[in-house]
Amino acid sequence: MLPFAAEAGQVHLTSQTRIVAAVLALVFMLMILELIRRDRLQERYSVIWFVAGLGMLAGAAFPGLLEVVANLMGVRNTNVALFSIVLLLLLGLALNFSVIMSRQAAQITRLAQERAIEKALAEKQGAGGNGNGASSEEALQSEEHRLEG
Amino acid sequence: MRTLVFIPAWNEEAALPGVIGDVRKAIPQADLLVVDDGSTDATAERAREAGALVASLPFNQGLGAALQTGYLYALRNGYDVCAHLDADGQHPAEEVARLLAEVTADRADLVIGSRYHAGAVAGSGDYRPTFSRRIGTSVFRFFLTLATRQRFTDTTSGMRAANRRVMALFSQHYSPDFAEIESLQLAVRQGLRVEEVPVRMLERAGGSSFLTPLRSAFFIFKGLVVLLVGQFRPRHVETE
Repeated sequence: MLPFAAEAGQVHLTSQTRIVAAVLALVFMLMILELIRRDRLQERYSVIWFVAGLGMLAGAAFPGLLEVVANLMGVRNTNVALFSIVLLLLLGLALNFSVIMSRQAAQITRLAQERAIEKALAEKQGAGGNGNGASSEEALQSEEHRLEG
Repeated sequence: MRTLVFIPAWNEEAALPGVIGDVRKAIPQADLLVVDDGSTDATAERAREAGALVASLPFNQGLGAALQTGYLYALRNGYDVCAHLDADGQHPAEEVARLLAEVTADRADLVIGSRYHAGAVAGSGDYRPTFSRRIGTSVFRFFLTLATRQRFTDTTSGMRAANRRVMALFSQHYSPDFAEIESLQLAVRQGLRVEEVPVRMLERAGGSSFLTPLRSAFFIFKGLVVLLVGQFRPRHVETE
């Protein structure tokens, strides 16, 4: 019983689990790379995932690292420390996505408003009966110049 | 004084032509813009037939975004004053004209038409709020008054008139979800003169209110969160 109790806080990773973890981390990072290559993920949103992949790799390569972190956190059980860290990271990521989503929602709204206004102005100029027979497209452009000027 | 009256409309083909005719008769000097908020019915066509200019949002964006479109249009096109009213026929146009007169006379920057203000006399066929709406109204009235230290009776009124200072503010900052209440809080916090004027409102001519009891409760909760957060927003410097 005693050796078991003494080891309660230790991480026991067999070399097999470490290899599996390292391979998973590498596969994960390759997936990210592939997503970027296929233009399905933008670089600016990929940094955080690479950091996560590197973290996984570091954890697999140096199991002692986790214990150091757990000690710093004042957590005796390294498993609890690991889950807490991962949970907080995911929470942060989810929040980050909400922020990005909000920004994009605002941008989409503004885009829709700009388009609606431009089309209305074009329609108005078209109805005004331009003598030179300007198309609504030209009317729209001249309106844009007026707004910029 | 160049005047714009705009009407946010979402699937209001039945009531909208009547409203447009009403506005043209009561406020003949004003230009008219209908902001079609991604309607799937013939709202835009009916509006054009009735002689209004139509700005169609490509998809439904909510009342706040539609109203902001109107403010943005008014600001960009050099209107001195603007007003908006609901498309469902609840708002008599002659009352809107009274709001506009207040702004034109420069007695206020933003004028709200209030159906609950002392002096708003109810006649037959006039507006009678439902029970859940009455609760929501009193909750918002209480908290908005607390937040702004200014007495408001009709916080969700969609009948308003505004000058260019308000156009500049609202075209930049207008909450898409919780337009009516947050905009009042924002305007007061920016030091704008906001005034309520008692008005007559009518029962809906078409369509149905989106408020069910459960939705009302959620609406109220969301509103309180928005108001609370709004108290911590920075006071923006005026851009115009």
